[in-house]
Amino acid sequence: MGETSSVENEFDDWFIESLKIYNNIHEYQLEHPTRVIEWTSEKTICVAGYSSDKNEILELLLPLKLFTDDNQGLCAERDFKVVHGGFSDGSIHCLKHIPGTRCVVTNDGFNSNLQVWDLGGEDCDVIKRTGVLQLKSASSDKGVKIAPGLTGDPCVLHGSQISDIQLTELTSGKPLYSLGKDIPDLLSSLQFVSGSVFLACACNGDLYVGDTRNPSGLQNNPAGGREGVHWCMGVKTDLSSSDPSSCSVARLSSACQVVVSDLRDLRAPLFQAQLHVQRKTTSDDFMKVTWAPALDNCLAVSGFDGMVRIYDTASWRPELMEFQPLFIHRGHMMSDDQFDTSSAVVTTHVWHPSRPRTVLSAAVDGSVHVWDWVDKATASC
Amino acid sequence: MPEIKVTPLGAGQDVGRSCILVSIGGKNIMLDCGMHMGFNDDRRFPDFSYITQQGRLTEFLDCVIISHFHLDHCGALPYMSEMVGYDGPIYMTHPTKAICPILLEDFRKITVDKKGETNFFTSQMIKDCMKKVVPLNLHQTVQVDDELEIKAYYAGHVLGAAMVQIKVGSESVVYTGDYNMTPDRHLGAAWIDKCRPDILISESTYATTIRDSKRCRERDFLKKVHETVERGGKVLIPVFALGRAQELCILLETFWERMNMKAPIYFSTGLTEKANHYYKLFITWTNQKIRKTFVQRNMFEFKHIKAFDRSYADNPGPMVVFATPGMLHAGQSLQIFKKWAGNEKNMIIMPGYCVQGTIGHKILNGQKKLEMENRQTVIEIERCEPGCCHLSLEVKLQVEYMSFSAHADAKGIMQLIRMAEPRNMLLVHGEAKKMEFLKDKIEQEFTINCFMPANGETTTVITNPSVPVDISLNLLKREMALGGPLPDPKKPRTMHGTLIMKDNSLRLVSPEQALKELGLNEHQLRFTCRVQLQDPHSDPDTLSRIYTHLKSVLKGYTIQHLPDGTVMVESIVIKVSSSAEEPNTKVLLLSWSYQDEDLGSFLSTLLKKGLPSGLSSM
Repeated sequence: MGETSSVENEFDDWFIESLKIYNNIHEYQLEHPTRVIEWTSEKTICVAGYSSDKNEILELLLPLKLFTDDNQGLCAERDFKVVHGGFSDGSIHCLKHIPGTRCVVTNDGFNSNLQVWDLGGEDCDVIKRTGVLQLKSASSDKGVKIAPGLTGDPCVLHGSQISDIQLTELTSGKPLYSLGKDIPDLLSSLQFVSGSVFLACACNGDLYVGDTRNPSGLQNNPAGGREGVHWCMGVKTDLSSSDPSSCSVARLSSACQVVVSDLRDLRAPLFQAQLHVQRKTTSDDFMKVTWAPALDNCLAVSGFDGMVRIYDTASWRPELMEFQPLFIHRGHMMSDDQFDTSSAVVTTHVWHPSRPRTVLSAAVDGSVHVWDWVDKATASC
Repeated sequence: MPEIKVTPLGAGQDVGRSCILVSIGGKNIMLDCGMHMGFNDDRRFPDFSYITQQGRLTEFLDCVIISHFHLDHCGALPYMSEMVGYDGPIYMTHPTKAICPILLEDFRKITVDKKGETNFFTSQMIKDCMKKVVPLNLHQTVQVDDELEIKAYYAGHVLGAAMVQIKVGSESVVYTGDYNMTPDRHLGAAWIDKCRPDILISESTYATTIRDSKRCRERDFLKKVHETVERGGKVLIPVFALGRAQELCILLETFWERMNMKAPIYFSTGLTEKANHYYKLFITWTNQKIRKTFVQRNMFEFKHIKAFDRSYADNPGPMVVFATPGMLHAGQSLQIFKKWAGNEKNMIIMPGYCVQGTIGHKILNGQKKLEMENRQTVIEIERCEPGCCHLSLEVKLQVEYMSFSAHADAKGIMQLIRMAEPRNMLLVHGEAKKMEFLKDKIEQEFTINCFMPANGETTTVITNPSVPVDISLNLLKREMALGGPLPDPKKPRTMHGTLIMKDNSLRLVSPEQALKELGLNEHQLRFTCRVQLQDPHSDPDTLSRIYTHLKSVLKGYTIQHLPDGTVMVESIVIKVSSSAEEPNTKVLLLSWSYQDEDLGSFLSTLLKKGLPSGLSSM
């Protein structure tokens, strides 16, 4: 127990370094790992298990310490509070919160039906399933991607292939819009950029722009990457702007490339980068790219290994070049017992909606971290 | 039905104190006797009127058990034993017994001397109360009386904290007090064997939380200390001598070494003496398993930590000082605080809870201006001229509240249940509607009931005690000889024997042995019955016809036609006779022993119906 091995030294190094590179960091251990982190309010998130059997869905209240900016020192509260919890009979691969409601919609990654849940209110802490939306879809073993509608009555956009993208009203189950084009490409990400304009990214990298008011209109923009490569997307929306096209789309490939496009002109990428990443996992399941909501030009990438990488795209160029990250979160690889780089994989990450440099991330070992990194450029030496 | 009753004392939803009453097997036990730190009046004491409206508690309680030295678990003990009145045994571990009176006295001083309260226990009462204490060792069964026994288990959390098993006959309850399932630098994790209590009682205060890791708390502490020292400031850490101070010292020492830090770290001498005492206590109390997780060192072999001298507080430059008391209510830590409070480069880190009325409590509530006495005695500050006997202190230094205390969270509760395998779970101090998910989770995963009584509410749990009985070897052999599957808990097997209850023992023996032991003779009962039937055959032919008839009806039974002119069905004897005057009126004589009563009465009913006509005689 008293011997110092190189493993312990590496952990100590990171621990000491963490004092400088993070303003704050919290590490939690869930009983079961999650591959979803979804904001359900300014201070709460939802996580859920993905084992093949019974799973829990938890709504967690973030610790008070993260919200008290003045007098932060007087608050000792560092723990998550489980404010609501429920049980799911199957796995949860995708979980989306419907804005303006206490409702979340989930899919298990295999079947083509959506579970609808009520997170519960003040007087009951149990999350209950309120319904199931049975969808017709062609391929039924890849699961369904979900995007909540941003305006109007609660509705949800969903699909497993480009061809079966549909908008369904939640309360009635009525289909409001169908894409109707016979494009069998598997869907990787789906997101609304305004009340009616949405983006669909296919697994082969093609990016489609659709409008629920105009069922026949659809633009396609290939990513131009290699064959056999899997893609996903992250969208930065400026919701305060009424122009839906003022948004940036980043597409991430399994070959660790990022292509950034502007919706106003999707013909050629604005800029792109080759990320220097040594993939530790062959699965493309957990690939994720997101934009920082409260920072300019800032991207986060995860899913290739046990790290989350932050990039500043301000210096990126239209030609493919390699760029180094602005910041790397290594916390998930630093277990208390041993330094295990091979098995740690980050399953998902999300940005805090208003705190500029606060990120939440989760990994296959059940860890969930909340970290606030220091921007070296603005930090004092 | 046998039952166990559990009542958490208190009212409504308040969670400030622990005091739980358990009734088991005719015994009454009080678990913990805490003070509610949020109240200044009688509401801070538990409401003992539940036990008895007036008078002493001695005859109503068989024992009192205290889990650890925190005031919300033992703060009301002297009040209960000396002011309400209780003379029976009070059980607690050795370290708890050593530390409790110190904390109680500190607390008494603050409440009475500083705040001028009157309805409070005295120093003498604390001493008298501690005289009633019977110390416990870990894993040692203690007989409270003939029927009640208790055993302490290691709980982690703080030095001396224990989980307690209470057993009467085959019924038992385990109370966890405060515990934690993740080891830290100076304490191991809680441990209990698969004792399968009827009820496991636990706090639910942290049951719905997910704890931030220990290393993040430590990181925050180190970061704050480092930042202060780097800017030339001084860090004051008020600590209680016998607790977390050692852990924080080990942490700082490692960090100083690693970072090659030059600023001095001091440990006040008052702490040193007490800490050595603490070290001895700790080592003698813990067993081998726990000692291994504790850093094996003499408390003061630190390279970078030196003994403090009062004069150092005025030295220029950065430094870190650990000083007592922990709540800044008196002594050295308060002296140092007065000197350093005015400089915003400095920092004070409060590692624990501060009682109302102390300076610690005030600054943790954000108070920036403090009125402080210059002299020892308490003065009515409002009536004085400013500056005459007290001074106003501006609090400009950075105040940090850090919680290092280890509590089990949701995951920890599940782990403990897995370890102990209780038949029922009971969570106190929680709002039932805010814990329905946890209740569902426990009930589903372990298929046990989970109770969540409100304070003042009694939960009754029906138990299913197993009664152990000794079985004689002969009887066991006889049963085994019968063959068939071996009995197991899911498939019990019925057997016959005689139960002898003598003194306190229960024995199962064969009937013959029982008769022998009791000096009784066995009586054999035999029944006879006469059945008349008309049959135009000779007596022997009738008998044969009966034999044939019975053989066709009673398949699977042993039926014999014996040469002595009888038919036997198992052990039942059938004879036929008739009178010379009426040769066709046959009289059947049936005779059977008590064991064959059922078959016998079946046969008599059957034969009363007569013989079927189609029968041929052999």
